[in-house]
Amino acid sequence: MTWNESAMADLVTLTIDDVEYEVPAGMNLIDAAKQCGVDIPVFCYHPKLGYDGNCRMCLIDLGTPRRNRETGEVALAWFPGVQTACTQTVVDGMAIRTTSETVQNARREILEFLLSSHPLDCPICDKGGECPLQNLTMRHGPGTTRMYWTDRMHLGKHVPLGGLIYLDQERCVQCARCIRFQDQIADDSVLGFDLRGRKQQIITRSEPGFDSIFSGNTTDICPVGALTTADFRFNARPWEMVQVATLCSHTPEGSNMYFDTRIDREAGGLATIKRVMPRQNEQVNEIWLSDKSRFVHHYMEHPDRLISPMLRKSGQLIEVSWEEALGEVITQLEAAGADIGGIAGGRLSNESLFSFQKLIRAQGSDNLAAYPARMAGAELVAQVGVGRGTNLQELGAGDAILVAACDLHQEAPIWWLRVKAAAARGAALIVLNGRATRLDDYAAHSVRYDFGGEVAALNAMLGSLSKRVKAGREVEGLEETRSAAAKFPASRAMSAAARAFAGAENAVVMVGSDGIGASVSQELAQAAANLLVATGHVGRTNNGLIVVWGAANSQGAFDMGVHHAFGPGYQPLAQPGLGYEGMLRALQDNALKALIIAGADPVFDDRRAEDILRATHATIIVQDMFLTQTAELADVVLPTQSIAEQDGTYTSGERRVQRFYQAIEPIGESQAVWAIAQTIGEQLGHPPGKPVATLIFNEIALSASPYEGITGSALTRVEPQFPDVGGKDLYFGGTAFTNRHGLGVQWPTLAEDARARLTVRPAQVGAQISPGRGQLIAVPITSLYDAEPVMQKTDLLQERVPAPYAALNPADADRLGVAAGDPLEMTFDGHPVILSAVLDEAVPEGVAVVPRRLQSQGAPLAAAVTPVTRLERVSS
Amino acid sequence: MTHILLRELDIPGIDDIEVYLANDGYEGLRKAIADHTPDEVIDLVKASGLRGRGGAGFPTGTKWSFIPKDIFPKYVTVNADESEPGTFKDRQLMENNPQQVIEGALICAYAIQAETVYIYIRGEYWDIADHLDEAIEHARKHGFIGKNILGSGWNCELYTHRGAGAYICGEETALLESLEGKRGQPRIRPPFPAVAGLYAKPTVINNVETLSNLPYILREGVDTYRQLGTDESPGPKIFCLSGHVNNPGNYELPMGGDTTLRKLIFELGGGTPSGLPVKAILPAGASAMVLPATDEVLDTPLTYESLKPFGTSLGSASVIIMDESVNMGWAASKMIHFFSQESCGQCTPCREGTYWLRRLYDRLEAGEIDMEDVDRMNSVAAQMVGKCICALGDFAADPVLGTIKHFKADYELIANGKSAPASVEEAPVTGD
Repeated sequence: MTWNESAMADLVTLTIDDVEYEVPAGMNLIDAAKQCGVDIPVFCYHPKLGYDGNCRMCLIDLGTPRRNRETGEVALAWFPGVQTACTQTVVDGMAIRTTSETVQNARREILEFLLSSHPLDCPICDKGGECPLQNLTMRHGPGTTRMYWTDRMHLGKHVPLGGLIYLDQERCVQCARCIRFQDQIADDSVLGFDLRGRKQQIITRSEPGFDSIFSGNTTDICPVGALTTADFRFNARPWEMVQVATLCSHTPEGSNMYFDTRIDREAGGLATIKRVMPRQNEQVNEIWLSDKSRFVHHYMEHPDRLISPMLRKSGQLIEVSWEEALGEVITQLEAAGADIGGIAGGRLSNESLFSFQKLIRAQGSDNLAAYPARMAGAELVAQVGVGRGTNLQELGAGDAILVAACDLHQEAPIWWLRVKAAAARGAALIVLNGRATRLDDYAAHSVRYDFGGEVAALNAMLGSLSKRVKAGREVEGLEETRSAAAKFPASRAMSAAARAFAGAENAVVMVGSDGIGASVSQELAQAAANLLVATGHVGRTNNGLIVVWGAANSQGAFDMGVHHAFGPGYQPLAQPGLGYEGMLRALQDNALKALIIAGADPVFDDRRAEDILRATHATIIVQDMFLTQTAELADVVLPTQSIAEQDGTYTSGERRVQRFYQAIEPIGESQAVWAIAQTIGEQLGHPPGKPVATLIFNEIALSASPYEGITGSALTRVEPQFPDVGGKDLYFGGTAFTNRHGLGVQWPTLAEDARARLTVRPAQVGAQISPGRGQLIAVPITSLYDAEPVMQKTDLLQERVPAPYAALNPADADRLGVAAGDPLEMTFDGHPVILSAVLDEAVPEGVAVVPRRLQSQGAPLAAAVTPVTRLERVSS
Repeated sequence: MTHILLRELDIPGIDDIEVYLANDGYEGLRKAIADHTPDEVIDLVKASGLRGRGGAGFPTGTKWSFIPKDIFPKYVTVNADESEPGTFKDRQLMENNPQQVIEGALICAYAIQAETVYIYIRGEYWDIADHLDEAIEHARKHGFIGKNILGSGWNCELYTHRGAGAYICGEETALLESLEGKRGQPRIRPPFPAVAGLYAKPTVINNVETLSNLPYILREGVDTYRQLGTDESPGPKIFCLSGHVNNPGNYELPMGGDTTLRKLIFELGGGTPSGLPVKAILPAGASAMVLPATDEVLDTPLTYESLKPFGTSLGSASVIIMDESVNMGWAASKMIHFFSQESCGQCTPCREGTYWLRRLYDRLEAGEIDMEDVDRMNSVAAQMVGKCICALGDFAADPVLGTIKHFKADYELIANGKSAPASVEEAPVTGD
């Protein structure tokens, strides 16, 4: 039962150790007791996984009310023996005893059994110090063992379950939490038991081992030290570490995490990140992290990090002082006047993005673009984004979720978990895509279009709706939009999906970047907004639009006004500047004199950017952590900081503004982008900047209207969460941690103001693309594990990054004479790319699916026709 | 006497369906369908007092009556996993009179209106499974299986499914898991199989011998059936006699009355081959407390209730006899070896307890124990009881608790070095 369900349930009386409590009916007994402040010890039970009843640690005396058949009287009847609490659901009048002698004996006896073959290697165990087995043994267990030392079962201590997770078979208590997590939550059933009896062991059944992007979570919920990460094992003791609240800086869900840091000899006596742990936020990531969130942090302290500014001298980038580098920057910017532009990446903090656009605008320019540039529609999110308080965990029967042009598993793994869970609770999941994705497995409606037909499909869904479907408020342009949509032919599947969507109590739309570029993304978001508005699914909690952005803080970048057409808080500009495409053209025409690129690497994705940056006379100033391909073409390179080295805020794809904190000292002479922007600004004669990020946030709250009233203390507010996972007690077992640093604040959309007038317009479709003979449509998709620079710096994840490939339907492969593994040449945006052929039935005919960022410039910017040539295999 | 269950002893060749039919075969099913509604069949079986022959002795008709009427599909699962040490009755029934088993299963399926029957048969009985498959084909050819059986409009299919050699899969919920293709591990109850069994649908699981009673009950009527046995334990029961007796084998006897262990061991079994007195009796294979062979025990009429005062039960009535040559500590060791090998590993007390006990009994077999170790064995076994998911954990404790309670002197002999631990020739042990 979720927190909300329990909040709405009737209260019943539960007697624990002769004290009466009121608890929600239907709650699991362990959870109910916990709510009353009584810890019933567990190993296998987990509120996120339900009961399994295998560890027998939660034995209690149980009494239930029973009616006497003769007298009709209801009296409490105690079971003759101890019962497992985890398998009980609270009913009115239930009574339990948790402190009786029988219960105490049962607990001691179960612990003695569990410890009989346990290696007791706590002094070298990663879990030591935060181990439920250790804690429960101290509280309930026998002080000694009666088993002969030589009778113990000895098993493997370092069994890799894959590259990321190790199993210590001796420590395992066979609670099956890891198996159940993989089966129930991740739906990657790659773990299982092998053998039986005392020989029973956890094994992985996948090749490669433990093939799941959520594998790290099993180490958190493991109640003993059996599962450890390759990242952290034998690396530090829990009590030595300082927890610093942070956020995932890679995907848009805004996962709350902790950097666990320690002052370390290897870090020169400074703090270093030892591990990444989930920080519970039931409205965001609950207690889960993707493996990318958890393991990618190694780039932050990588020796390749830039440690000082660089300046191009005689064609070479030479390390120079900040003074010299900034001197050159000031000279060039002063000369450039308003003919400058800025591109900023979505991994930067709100404070950096705000300061960045402020600098550009103070110079008189509105030439601004957020990167990656492939997605758009933020101003629609500002109007009809999900209402405040939206929590995907609350969606269920009667609700609908539409996921369009998105491989959610890869683009936003945590949302994938939560959407699939909502579908399991009964929400109607509508998956709209040009190809099969894993989300189809949970979909009530799987609707297909031909790539290029994304917007037309959403339009057709809207157009198929009966006139009786009402928006429920006055909306400008709605009639026109609906009649335009009515011209799009709807398949039966589209109409059925549209009806389910319109009839849902609550409805959320997620639009992604599967096969589309910036212009389609804009129209797709418009089409989604139109559907939401027309069906009245806006301006309310658990209703509205989510764009599955390509970066962790893309939402923040737009909120901060890193856009050519609007300023902070979506204030439209009378005279728009140049966006990404416009700036590329202006550079080509030498109409721009200087370009500042912060935290973005367009050359890695875009061949045109490379050609133009190489040719341009403009001064290119790059601010980054690494000497990226873009930085290599710069005139000035300024070293910047990762999220670990600074304070700041991010805004998630659900518009939740959340804080993160500095965890380690800055690497080298690196500075935050906001600090660099302010320094440059001051030297250019702008008013002085703010010394710390929090003061910049205060300025944001004054400048960007949706952020009005969001204070530092609001961001750091916490409240009790269900389930209660952390703390000093023994209940949860495992190491997802209580959130002590803030749950964040969602900013309000325009639609939440009932008086606000919404505006829609018809979503435009582009020309349908169709391949000729020997051609395919190359469809770029997003993969979680790619070869972008920060991933390349994390060895742990490297083995999971596939070699660059194009996936073809076997029928096309046949036609083209291509076999699996053959090298193929395709042409994207005018240049040839070599890819390895993968044959996949799930890929539609006529299409080659090409993941973005598996190699530099290795995918088209948007779906496009490409010739396909099979190359001769090079024999090695 | 005329046999009701082991009819092949009276009618040679009854495994042939023609012979079976010539001897009132399928009369029970015919009567059930022609003369009774499904609910009436359930009431008849209730009235017959038939109790489950798999070991628990639960009233069969009552079990059927728990099946919800309005949930479909429903399933009948025949428990032919017969894996209790010393139990070999179901194999004889299936080998020699398969149509009787099939007819019984069909009567059950008709009563609960199931249209699918699975016969879960232990993997080691592969040849019997083949034999059953043939018998199923014969029954189908005669119209007892398939569509519109005997013109009733009711359809039913039978399938055999072979286990993979796990004792635990005789436990009904582990059997269901295994049948569904999962690891054979018992389920948490509730829900009970009658409500959510196979594929989470209402399911009756009955033992082969239980079902073999049904054709007779339907054919001859409840009153005739109840003439055998006692009021509480009516009908015939097959006793599997093995161990130190001259004539081991299956004996079909009415429950209660003059059916006693003394009759079984000495009259039918012909006493011990060694001539030594009987020392101990395992009345239900390895899964019940051992009994010392006192006069009181030997003369108790055997029913489901009668052994309760002795702290044990009739179970599947696999009676294993041990004479005075056996050291009961050694006998317990053999059983612990078995249980530690067969524990499924799902729950802590059984998984850890059976392993620990096995290690202690390894010491016993090596002659390396003292009386403190015996106390330890007793205490480890005692703390398994009442804490496990299924009964295996309790059963595994029984040989330890029973032998230490009744035959502590045997342990003292080993502890004092006065008896070789293995006093009879070591039986070959399979597995590890």
